[in-house]
Amino acid sequence: MGRDVTSPAVERTAARLLRWYPAGWRTRYGEEFTELLLAEYAERPRSWRRTANVIGSGLLARLSGLGLTGFGLSAADQARASLATLGGAAAAFLIFGLAMLAQLAIGWQWTMPHDPATTSGLALMAAGTVLLFLLTALAAVPVAWGTAAALLGRGTGGGPRGRMAGPVGFVLAGGTALVAGAHHFQNSWPGTGGTAVHRGLVPAGAAAFSWASTLSVSSYWAHPAALRAFPAPELAWMALSPLALLSLVGGTVAIVRRQRPSARLLAYQARLAAAAALAMACFLAGAGCWVFGQGSGRAGLFHAGVVDVAGLAVMTVALVAAAWAAVGARRGALALAGRG
Amino acid sequence: MPGTPLGGFGRYAGPATLILSSLADGPKHGYALTKDIEQFAGLRLAPGTLYEALSRLEGQGLIEALESQDRRRPYQLTAAGAAALRAHLADQQRVAQVGLGRLARTWGAT
Repeated sequence: MGRDVTSPAVERTAARLLRWYPAGWRTRYGEEFTELLLAEYAERPRSWRRTANVIGSGLLARLSGLGLTGFGLSAADQARASLATLGGAAAAFLIFGLAMLAQLAIGWQWTMPHDPATTSGLALMAAGTVLLFLLTALAAVPVAWGTAAALLGRGTGGGPRGRMAGPVGFVLAGGTALVAGAHHFQNSWPGTGGTAVHRGLVPAGAAAFSWASTLSVSSYWAHPAALRAFPAPELAWMALSPLALLSLVGGTVAIVRRQRPSARLLAYQARLAAAAALAMACFLAGAGCWVFGQGSGRAGLFHAGVVDVAGLAVMTVALVAAAWAAVGARRGALALAGRG
Repeated sequence: MPGTPLGGFGRYAGPATLILSSLADGPKHGYALTKDIEQFAGLRLAPGTLYEALSRLEGQGLIEALESQDRRRPYQLTAAGAAALRAHLADQQRVAQVGLGRLARTWGAT
């Protein structure tokens, strides 16, 4: 049964196909799976269906690492991976969303929007943002508690101290750089001095901070000539602030993945995840209202540009990933509680 | 059928049933499973589908891996796997009996 002789070319083909699977899967199943592929090739040298099947399964296995499928993961691992993915997707969503919201807030500092699409869009976006930050705070408290316990060497909720130290370092470094940089650059916020400040939906301080922390999300990247007129420190901040964001988000995702919360806590986080996906949908509906309503306002203050359409596309992808991850987290939490 | 023992496997319930049925008479490695299933069920599980189902079954504790033999790793049914397979096949049998009975009453015996 199986193969007798295989050519180096067949071995290379099998090895190439195996690369579609994630490293962890290859470590566990790689050798035996390669043997199966070689036996298949000996029997049927060519089959595009087999190739497509292996590639599709490899991609599914990769999605599983993100908690987006239940392929080969325990219920607890599924819930944790899903929550970490949701955190990453929500962060990407917020980065683009806050850049949009800050842009609208700048316009509102100077004049009220007169079209209902922009007004209702901004109201939905503001409500979605408040809800997302509230949910983030509710989710962060037990995560921070478990992490502190792990770092102080108490309890079992956060895992070994060494595994947490790295991600915590990234969170602190990224968070500090982001807060310090955004606080510094918010002083040059273009909304400052507007005449409609008291009627704005978004507090000026929060809008200025959002603008400065998401300065890298800008259509100016497509206009190098205009970009050259920017002060050097602001250009440096635009280029380097994504690293701070990456450090903050990446560290947070790693912490969530490395924690070992109880089934009850996972169920709580899974409920927050579902609510976060709804808050993101609320925000996206508002952003869609504004972008497709195309209200421009006086002097084009509320004009939606190409960067906003691109942002909307990124946010849609992030919302789909977050909703998918929220379902995965709920499924994992239910299975862990013995109800799946 | 979500309430059945393999209901949680979704679209892998079919491959999972075939794999568990194949392992019911003893341990087999991947290629042996493929050939055995092809022989008794008349369909060939593609390698990706086979290993997706194997990893799910292993994750659920319904099968377990044995020591590797010449880079091939045999799998065997666990007690939980045998119980799940028995319950699942009994469910399937009830469905088959109902369907066959209704066919016989309405369309006559063949």
